[in-house]
Amino acid sequence: MGKEIKEKVDVSKRMLFRSAVAIVGAVTTAGVAKTVVDASKDSADQNIKARYAKEALQQERAMLQKKFVVMSEDEKKQMLDEILNSHHKQTA
Amino acid sequence: MSEDKKGMEAQELDDARREFLKHMGIAAGAVALASAPDAEAAVFQEWFQTHYELMSEQEKQEAIARLETRYSEEFGKKTTVSNAPALPGVLFGYALNIQKCIGCRTCVHACVEENNQSRYDPEIQWIKVLKMEKGNFSFSPDKLDKGYPESERLGDYGLQVGGNAYNSVGVSSETERYYEPETVPEDDSFYMPVQCHQCEKPPCVKVCPVRATFRDPSGVVVIDYNWCIGCRMCQLACPYEARRFNWGEPNLPKEEMNPKTHYYGNRPRMKGVMEKCTFCLQRTREGRNPACMEACPVGARKFGNLLDPQSEIRLILATKKVFRYKEEFNTYPKFFYFMD
Repeated sequence: MGKEIKEKVDVSKRMLFRSAVAIVGAVTTAGVAKTVVDASKDSADQNIKARYAKEALQQERAMLQKKFVVMSEDEKKQMLDEILNSHHKQTA
Repeated sequence: MSEDKKGMEAQELDDARREFLKHMGIAAGAVALASAPDAEAAVFQEWFQTHYELMSEQEKQEAIARLETRYSEEFGKKTTVSNAPALPGVLFGYALNIQKCIGCRTCVHACVEENNQSRYDPEIQWIKVLKMEKGNFSFSPDKLDKGYPESERLGDYGLQVGGNAYNSVGVSSETERYYEPETVPEDDSFYMPVQCHQCEKPPCVKVCPVRATFRDPSGVVVIDYNWCIGCRMCQLACPYEARRFNWGEPNLPKEEMNPKTHYYGNRPRMKGVMEKCTFCLQRTREGRNPACMEACPVGARKFGNLLDPQSEIRLILATKKVFRYKEEFNTYPKFFYFMD
């Protein structure tokens, strides 16, 4: 009788330990997963910043060495005619 | 009972069970979709919408309703997405007086606020103000009606370069864009804001592989953000560094979001799409002026209809000293710089 009770207690203790280990395992796994995800997010943020910076630099280069020249009267007329003609055209 | 009969009954039972499970699955899916938040359902449906210009009127209304629902939920305020068409008989042009501009960047900030641009990491700005040193700000008034080769020899349309071709008023390699003085304007400096030039022959439109960007009937180059595939070809093609790409999700705080939007204009963009100045399409299609023009404290910015010979923009073209930026590309920008 006494032996049976002891075995039951052992079993329930074992179940308790098993549940505790399972919970600790789950929490640890979640923690590790969060760390990995956060780390990759930080690295993605850095990448995005680097991309914005690189793009700004490329655009600055595109602006180099351009002269601003005042248009002659004929040039202005030609430009306006071309814009208005183009506007009225039906293009594909 | 024979073995065959038993087998048939089992088969029937299996089929019935399969049918039951199938119906249960469909019902569960329908319940899940119905119970999903409206904004999530809207995003899901947006993935399957076609080019806005190719939609039927009903599809357009549905797309607009979806966006309004999503933005209203996302930003916690009633948001409208207009699909007002381009005004008839209008071709928009913009002129900027570089003699008046004081480089205060008020236009830049007004543009950011009006057009729901990303506010941080980074703040996306559609207007860039370049600071240039005065000094070579000169031209010959005698040559304003002359060019090379002589117009008499080739007619009025034969000009290759204007008479001031060798007297430039400035060079962009000598510009500074990150200036932070205590007060503006600084001595010996002038300022040149650059934004989308709304080219009449836009290279960005030519290179777009999916026609997500195109020129609207009033001459403004617009983008269907939902159709854009984010290939950035247009950005490479643009000679005016006018286009901005959303490498990440734009950071637009709820309290700073402008809820009055247009489908092709200032509605919030998403990660992976291009954006640019639209001359504040959400305003101009309702007969208002662009935000940058309204904000300019010195009246350096002028906006109007190029088809109207009496408009201010046409009078500027007719009477002021005008130059185009990068005219050699033959993009025929409708954004001009002028001097008194």
